[in-house]
Amino acid sequence: MSCVLVKVLFFATFRKKYGVKELTVNCDGTVKGLIESASKILGEDFLNDVYDREREKVRDDLIFAVNGRNIKDLGGDVKLKDQDVVSIFPPLAGG
Amino acid sequence: MGNILKVDLTTGTLRSEPISEDIAKKYLGGKGYAVYLLYNYLKEYESKGFSPTDINPLGPENVLIFATGPGTGIPGFPCSGRYHVMALRSPLTGSIGSANSGGEWGPFLKFSGYDMVVIEGASEDPVYLSIVDGSAELRSASDLWGKNVFDTCRILSRRVGGKNISVACIGPAGENLVRMACIMNDEHRAAGRTGLGAVMGSKNLKAIVVSGKKEVPVANRDVFREVSRRCLETMRKNRVTGEGLPTYGTSILINVINTAGGLPYKNWQTGVNPYADKISGETLAETYLTGRRACWGCTIGCGRVTSVSSGPFQIIGTEGPEYESIWALGGSTGVKDLDAIVKANHYCDEFGMDPISMGSTIAAAMELNERGYIPKEDLQGLDLKFGNSTALVEAVWRTAYKAGFGKYLALGSKKLCEIYGHPEISMSVKGLEMPAYDPRAMKGIGLTYATANRGGCHVTGYTVSAEILGIPEKIDPLTPEGKAKWAKLFQDFTCVVNSTVNCLFSTFALGAKDYAELLSAVTGWSLSEDDVLRIGERIYNLERVIINKLGFDGKDDTLPKRLLEEPMPEGPAKGHIVELEKMKEEYYRLRGWVNGVPTAEKLKELEIEI
Ligand code: SF4
Repeated sequence: MSCVLVKVLFFATFRKKYGVKELTVNCDGTVKGLIESASKILGEDFLNDVYDREREKVRDDLIFAVNGRNIKDLGGDVKLKDQDVVSIFPPLAGG
Repeated sequence: MGNILKVDLTTGTLRSEPISEDIAKKYLGGKGYAVYLLYNYLKEYESKGFSPTDINPLGPENVLIFATGPGTGIPGFPCSGRYHVMALRSPLTGSIGSANSGGEWGPFLKFSGYDMVVIEGASEDPVYLSIVDGSAELRSASDLWGKNVFDTCRILSRRVGGKNISVACIGPAGENLVRMACIMNDEHRAAGRTGLGAVMGSKNLKAIVVSGKKEVPVANRDVFREVSRRCLETMRKNRVTGEGLPTYGTSILINVINTAGGLPYKNWQTGVNPYADKISGETLAETYLTGRRACWGCTIGCGRVTSVSSGPFQIIGTEGPEYESIWALGGSTGVKDLDAIVKANHYCDEFGMDPISMGSTIAAAMELNERGYIPKEDLQGLDLKFGNSTALVEAVWRTAYKAGFGKYLALGSKKLCEIYGHPEISMSVKGLEMPAYDPRAMKGIGLTYATANRGGCHVTGYTVSAEILGIPEKIDPLTPEGKAKWAKLFQDFTCVVNSTVNCLFSTFALGAKDYAELLSAVTGWSLSEDDVLRIGERIYNLERVIINKLGFDGKDDTLPKRLLEEPMPEGPAKGHIVELEKMKEEYYRLRGWVNGVPTAEKLKELEIEI
C-alpha cells in the first residue's frame, strides 16, 4: 500500500467540532483512505460527518476540495499525491 | 391591492394612487413594478423632446422609487422583511439605479398604508417624509442635515414614538453627493449599491420614517398557511439556511472562495489571499461576534453583531461586516487586520456608503499609487499602500466628507482611474465595482457581471451558487460551457425574488415552484413555476430596454481587461482568463437579444409594450 502525506484543512463547524484547523494525514492515496485515516485521529464521528457509507462517496452536501478543486468537478474519484491539500467545508453559503 | 404614494418634492405635493392589478399581474411588485413605472417616466421624458441620456442622475428629473412586493410584511412568508429601491439613473454608473435592503423598513412601510413611494423633483430645503398610519407629510429636516445615520434613525424614531417605527435615511455621504452613498435603514441595513443615497441627497430628502399597524391582506389564508408551513420547514431542515447562515453569517464564504482561487486580492491582481483565514468568518465568529440579528420575519438571521473591544479601532456594538464588506475593505485592499475592517465597515454604515464600492475604490487608488500614477500632493499624506489599515480607515471617512484625497475617492473607481489616466485599473462593469468573486476562477459569474443591467453585480444572478456551493446542482466553475443558460435562469429568478420582495438567501432552499405557490396563495392568482420565471424574464428585458435608452448596449456588456487578458497567476484557476465572448454569444441567443438589445420579437413574445 502506497503511503501518501496529505494536508487536511478544516473549516466552519468542522473546525469548531474537532478543535483543529489543520492536520497532516498519512493515507493510501484514496479519498476514502484519507477520511478513514483522519477519523482514526479525530474519532468515528468524523467518518460519519464526511463520508456516505451507503453510497461509498464523500457526503453530497459538503464542499470537499483537493488543491482547491471540488472533487465533484474532478469526477469524484481522485488519486491523492504527497503534499496535496484537502479542504473540507460543511454545507454553507453567503452572498 | 394597495396604494402608491407619489411625492413631488419641487412643489411639496403628495398624492395617492392605487396599485394596478393588471400591472401587478405582469410585473408583480417591488423591482418589477418599479421598472415598469421608470419606463413610463422615460417615455414621458422622451415625449417632451428630451433624450434619456440628458437625465442628470443628481438633477430633479431623476425619479426614486421605494417598493415593497406581494410577500412583504406577511408573517410566515419566508424572509419577507425587505424592500427594493430604484432610480432612473445611478450617479455612479449612469445606468439604472437599483438596490435592495432588509431590516424592518419594508414591512413597516406596508403597515403604514402604502406599498410604494415614488419621489419626483427636488426640495429647496432639507426635508424628511413621515408616513404614519396612512397619513403622509413632508417636514423640515434642517435640524437633521449633517447628522450621521445612527443619530438620524434614533431621533426620528423617538419623534414618532410608539411601536413599528423604521427610518430609511442618508448620512453625510449622501448629503455630500458621494457617488457610492447608500440609503440606510434601521441603523445598519443598507440599500447599498449604485449610489442611491446621493440621489436622495440631491433631492434634499434626508429620511423617510414609516410606522403603522395595517395588516397585509392574504387572498387565500388556508392555502397560504399550508405552503408557508412547508417552505419554512424546508428552510429549517436545509443545512445552509437552517445551520450555516445562522451560525456564521455570510463571511463564512471567505475561506471557501479563497480555496477555489477566486477571492480577489490587492485590486484583483490575483485570486488567492495568503491572509484569508485572518479575515474569515471563522475568525470573526471566534473573536468579534457578540450576537445575531435578523430582518423582520426572517428565520435565518444572518446579520452579525460585533465589537472590537480594544485598540485604535475599538468599536462596541456594531453590525457586520458581511462577506462582501470584509472582502472589499480587507481582501481587495490587502488589509489583514480585522479590527480595521470592522471599523471601516462601521464608518460606511455611520456615514452611509456602500462598502463594496468604497473598498474597491480604495483598492484601485492603492494600485494607482503603488504604480506611481498619483501625484504626492493629491494624497496629502494619505499613505495609500496595500495592507495599510490606518490609511483604509482614514480613506473611508475622508470619502464621506470629500476631505483631501477623499474628493477623488468619492467619485468611485471608474472616474478616479480615468482622472489618473489608467481606466484599466478600475475593476468595475458599467461603472459599478464588482463584488468578491474573481470570474477567472468561476466563469459564470463573469457573464453575470458583464450582462447585469445595473453593472458589476453578483446578486443579479448568483451563479456562484451552482459553480462553487453546488446549489441547486454542482457545475464546474472553470469551464465556460453551459454558463449562459445558468446566468439567464438565475437572473430571471432573481427578478422574481426582488419583485416579491424577498431575500435572495431564501433561494438556497426554495425554488421557483415554491415561489409560484407562495405568490399564488397571497395574491389569489394561479401562477405556475413557468409563469413566475416568465414574469422574471419580462422584468429583466424591460430593465434592459431602459438601459438601452440610457446608452448602454453590447459594448458595455464586458469585463475589465485584467480578467479578459491577464491569466490568473496562481491557485486552482492558474492560467485561466474569462472566455467572455463565447459565453456572451450563447447568452444573447438564449435571451433573444442582438448586441445587448432585446429584439422586437422578444419583446412581443414577453408582452412588453413599448
Ligand atoms: S437571510 Fe439575512 S439578509 Fe436575508 S432576510 Fe434574513 S437576516 Fe435579512
